[in-house]
Amino acid sequence: MKKIPKPLADAAITVFFLLLCFVLCLLIQNAFGAYTLIPAIFILGSFLTSLITEGYIWGILSALSGVLLFDFAFELPYFQLNFTVADNLVSALIMIVIAFATCTLTTKLKKQEAEKAESEKEKMRADLLRAVSHDLRTPLTTIYGASSALLDENSGLAPQQKEKMLLGIREDAQWLTRMVENLLSITKLDGTNVRLFKTSTVLDEFLDTALIHFHKRYPCQEVSVDLPEEFISIQMDALLIEQVLINILENAVCHAKGMTMLSLKVFTIHGRVVFEIADDGCGIEKERLKHIFKGYYNTETLPSDCRRSNAGIGLCVCSAIIRAHGGTIEAENTKNGGAVFRFQLDTEEEIHEQQI
Amino acid sequence: MSNKYKILVVEDEHNISSLIGALLEADGYQVISASDCANGKMLFFSHRPDLILLDMGLPDADGITLLGEVRKASFIPVIVISARTDEADKVEALDHGANDYVTKPFSSAELLARIRSALRTAAFHSDNGIYDGVFVSDGFLIDYDARRVFVDGTEVKLTQTEYNIIAFLSRHPGKVLTYSAIIKEIWGYSDSGSVKKLQVNMANIRKKLGARPGKKNYIVNELGIGYRMCERSEPVSDKTAATSHSTVAK
Repeated sequence: MKKIPKPLADAAITVFFLLLCFVLCLLIQNAFGAYTLIPAIFILGSFLTSLITEGYIWGILSALSGVLLFDFAFELPYFQLNFTVADNLVSALIMIVIAFATCTLTTKLKKQEAEKAESEKEKMRADLLRAVSHDLRTPLTTIYGASSALLDENSGLAPQQKEKMLLGIREDAQWLTRMVENLLSITKLDGTNVRLFKTSTVLDEFLDTALIHFHKRYPCQEVSVDLPEEFISIQMDALLIEQVLINILENAVCHAKGMTMLSLKVFTIHGRVVFEIADDGCGIEKERLKHIFKGYYNTETLPSDCRRSNAGIGLCVCSAIIRAHGGTIEAENTKNGGAVFRFQLDTEEEIHEQQI
Repeated sequence: MSNKYKILVVEDEHNISSLIGALLEADGYQVISASDCANGKMLFFSHRPDLILLDMGLPDADGITLLGEVRKASFIPVIVISARTDEADKVEALDHGANDYVTKPFSSAELLARIRSALRTAAFHSDNGIYDGVFVSDGFLIDYDARRVFVDGTEVKLTQTEYNIIAFLSRHPGKVLTYSAIIKEIWGYSDSGSVKKLQVNMANIRKKLGARPGKKNYIVNELGIGYRMCERSEPVSDKTAATSHSTVAK
């Protein structure tokens, strides 16, 4: 359905309704011998056509052809076009007016809906921008403050203090880098023209790269890995999926209080690869779990100095990336109190089969 | 003090350029900087540096253009500086003769390691590329004469193709080799299934070498680009040698 161009689909709908009306009229005429229903049926047909199709043209076309068919087949004299009879002309006129009015109404409605969606999107974007600016300010303040203090020769800072400040600058810069990566991904996925750079990626090469990057940021956090023996290849934008994996792992490190183990399990089920990231930390609150992939809905509830509110935008990015790959993502609490995130992607073999 | 490696930095962002300059000078290199392609080309021909650090996005032309000009004249190592998201650019640069790339933002340790590695490889190449003998990187050893591979003293049985791939990678330690470069070397021709064939071979090699995802492995995966053989004691991450040696392929 989605491959058919819109005008073609609309034309098909128009022809379909006309034929349906024609057949219905023939049936009614033969069964009941009643003529009074026939104009009503054609009016209904052109009404439905204008409701479903886009723009004015198809509705009016349907009305015109309806008039012609009606006049040709069901009005006396049969199988001749005759517009000299007054009531033929009047019924033709009524049908055209109805089609036109319906088209005007539906077009207006569609336009309003689009505007509403656009303004909602605009609002979301503004919310996001506000939240992000807020988040960017905190590390920037530290970087600016610390670097100024370090440059000030009279500050009298002890070497340990200096080192602490420098470490702070580095940490905040790394955090900013991640934030910017997430934002870049959002712009990449925003709107209709999603630009994915998909390549066939080998699962264990991918995991290796992602985990090396993760360990670079969190050298002390062990991740127990469990992956299938067989050779698995996935069509994906590796950078983006890596971002998903790292965002989820990072989320566990920052938010799962009391976590003692973090595990990543990968398995295949019905031709799909499932990535399961589980921790045994404090779990996720029920209220939060509902909106967890929707981004910044509850910034107010976060402490204002929470530097890791990145989580909100991070998971929002995850869900956008996975959806763009045609996969699914979910989060839930486990029985032992920890949280588990799961996302699925098609394996390459599956895609090949679908193409054949 | 004339016996220093001379490095040409072509980068238009002034802050980054001066940061790199300071880092390199502190590490004992002589630095010359250019802020666009034209200037870079001129400095290259007038100063004949030992290595070029090349930013891809330059104001007057693409970095690839300059890379092409340089490659027509010499084989000096070129390290490309690129943004995170342009995988295609990286492959293009590597296939056009760049020796390596670093991704912005990079740490100073990473940049210096790449530079050392590229300079070393260049020196290695200039002795006419005679590779007999052995290659050693931590517990990993290749005996070229006997075509045998050892991990921590135990021999690893490889097929002919697998051995050829490993030997090829080990002749360019520290350098990213693109899929197409490896395929050309190993099979001589390429078709639509070549990359998959290489990836399957690599998966088998990893299994045989006892590689585990996320640990320091002998061969680094550059997703969507190619593979890189670790040099002896090349720092894999900022934590480097402290942990890397104990976790190798156990």
